[in-house]
Amino acid sequence: MSTSTTDRRPPTAPGKPPAPRSATRHDPRAPVWRTARERLAGGGFMAPAVLLVSLFLLAPFAWTLYRSLFSDTRTSPFAWFDNYALFASDPALFRSVQNTLLWVVGTVALPFVLGLAIACMTSSSRLSRLARLCVVLPYALSGSAVAVVWNFMLTTDGAVNQVLNGVGLGSLAQGWLLTWPGNTLVMILANAWQATGVAVILFLVGLQSIPPETLEAGSLDGADGWQQFRHIVLPQLRPVSIIVIGMSLVNGLKSFDLIWVLTQGGPGRATETLAVSMYNETFLELRPGAGAAIAVVLTVIVLAASWLYLRRQLDVKGV
Amino acid sequence: MSATGRTGSAAGPLARRRFLAGVAAGAAAVTAGGCARGESTSAQPGTTSISNDNATWDEGYRSAGSELKKITGYALRPLSNPSVTSYQQVVQMTLQTSKSSDLVKWASGYQLKRLARAGGLTDLSRVWERYAAKGWVRGASRDAVSYRGKALGIPMYESYYVLFYSKPVFRKLGLAEPGSWSELLHCAEVLKRNGITPFLASQSGGWPAIEWFQELVSKVDPRFYQRLVDGDASYTDAPARRAMDIWHDFMRKGWMTAPDFDQARGPGALKEAEVGMFLHGTWQAAGMSAAGMKPGTDYGAFILPAVRSSTPKSVIAESGVFVVPSRASSHDAAMANVGAWLDPSVQRVWSDFLQDSSANPKVRSSNPVVAGLQRDIVRNRRMPLVRYWEASPPSLIQGNTNDLGGFMAGQTSPATTLRRMQERAHDEWAAWKRDEA
Repeated sequence: MSTSTTDRRPPTAPGKPPAPRSATRHDPRAPVWRTARERLAGGGFMAPAVLLVSLFLLAPFAWTLYRSLFSDTRTSPFAWFDNYALFASDPALFRSVQNTLLWVVGTVALPFVLGLAIACMTSSSRLSRLARLCVVLPYALSGSAVAVVWNFMLTTDGAVNQVLNGVGLGSLAQGWLLTWPGNTLVMILANAWQATGVAVILFLVGLQSIPPETLEAGSLDGADGWQQFRHIVLPQLRPVSIIVIGMSLVNGLKSFDLIWVLTQGGPGRATETLAVSMYNETFLELRPGAGAAIAVVLTVIVLAASWLYLRRQLDVKGV
Repeated sequence: MSATGRTGSAAGPLARRRFLAGVAAGAAAVTAGGCARGESTSAQPGTTSISNDNATWDEGYRSAGSELKKITGYALRPLSNPSVTSYQQVVQMTLQTSKSSDLVKWASGYQLKRLARAGGLTDLSRVWERYAAKGWVRGASRDAVSYRGKALGIPMYESYYVLFYSKPVFRKLGLAEPGSWSELLHCAEVLKRNGITPFLASQSGGWPAIEWFQELVSKVDPRFYQRLVDGDASYTDAPARRAMDIWHDFMRKGWMTAPDFDQARGPGALKEAEVGMFLHGTWQAAGMSAAGMKPGTDYGAFILPAVRSSTPKSVIAESGVFVVPSRASSHDAAMANVGAWLDPSVQRVWSDFLQDSSANPKVRSSNPVVAGLQRDIVRNRRMPLVRYWEASPPSLIQGNTNDLGGFMAGQTSPATTLRRMQERAHDEWAAWKRDEA
């Protein structure tokens, strides 16, 4: 569909860039001077952002990449990719990769499904505001505060086991944070309890932007509730879904605070994700080279996952 | 309207520029201030700064500092960073700069050796010798504060690993403080029969996983423990296997708390008869008082008996140290204060604050329970052994602690745990020796 803006553009030869509009109204030398000046001004405005990103993001990443190629002995000789080989030889890192994958699946699927369900169920009910508040409230808490609350619930002598014992289900009581993969799964659930709030907010915004006429038209055509949801609501929630899944994907890959406060990656490094392993290797095991290698691998995975996902989902119009 | 509009548009950018210029100037001033030398570690007359990772000790440093000032003219000015990990990073980074504190609290043993390898610490051998001549330090602890023959640390305190118990609970059940292994087992059986978990054992927070390992190995064979932590024995040798089997047996019998038990609840759990005995450092005495328990009346403590009566008696000791950075802002004042730290008048105040054992053997603890343990150690000539955390290279200890945590959670068998620990010991000792060479 053409717009009035495109209609006003002067015709250009195929394969050539359009001429600057100012060129048709000014001295031929002026545009060159003005373009250079504009570029300079543009560069000046961009410079602080570029400088800050370079200084605090790109330079540390380059240094991390460089450090990952050196060993962790006292003299730190160049060791090629020895630190990356740890992913094949160290069972703790293998478990860390497994846990990271579990976290990604859990943090994408649970907030998406729960957030969508809660948003749909509460968008038009009378108690919707209260229900929404209850779900959204945990999102206002910090990850560490959430971990402290769940620690109170999940330790062997914690609230969950006490309730189970109290209602005669003592056989189900167990050390929720002690055995793998159960400990990782309960932490993913705890994370979903917090992260669902933002998904609910986004889906509610999405639901409110759906024109009621489309639902009325579907209803007149004889579509039942599920068919309306499946064929009318869900497709129109696609932009919001992309954002929710994209955010959850990155959050899952970089999950750290909840794990660190609840288990510190233990017992026996069983609940570490790559982010926790990176911290553990660098600051506790005092192997900055190995920690840098994990950081590089994690960065590559996050970037690749985000890029692959967003490339598939976002079309040229940015939606 | 148009005139007003023009005036407004002319004043707008001007005001905005002034505003932006102000913001930029403010940011520059803040940045410059941030880059400038902080006042916290700079020299301040009449004081020496001390970096510390335990903020609850600040009051104790101030009290001891008042006594120090009477001798040296310099009080103590504590600078606390309660996050241990961040504290270690900050100390290691600032040690090479002119911003380091005058005194730094650090761990002894291999933790100190690792810090010393990077250089930047003052040789305190002459201070140590003066203390030794007066009998104010234990000669056996010099190795734990030395690197390549030089004493680089002065002991801050000396704690022992002991089992705390509730006297009223023991009295009610007709139990006495166990003096032998069989008496210990009897106590555990009676406690368990009465619905009390006999022993507190936890891996929550990481490092507590070493407590039962070091105790059981050293009580099976203290000389083997010494060889093990020195890298001269294997984790798969018989004494280590025996210790792990005992531990595993205790766990199977339900004698140990769940491994995620919060040790901060230990004193309360003893008081409420939830747990029978709590293995921890004698510095826990302050926590007992905080829980409203009086030493000698409400709680007692004993050193874990040796597994066989013929086994030499031993005790696991933990000692923090003061080090003096060679680039300390007030180096002379810092040297004066470490030179007077173990003076009995200073140690009296410090030991009273900690309710623990002083590093000066001539200062008796005012806590009757700890004083009784000090007498027991001297009377029985117990072999002092360095706590596992400081007894071997840090990377080895950290990895093995993780393995012990996994064992406590039931992830690995005793044999698998020991095999993994030995594999790591092989690699890490080789790396340590290579680095030393």
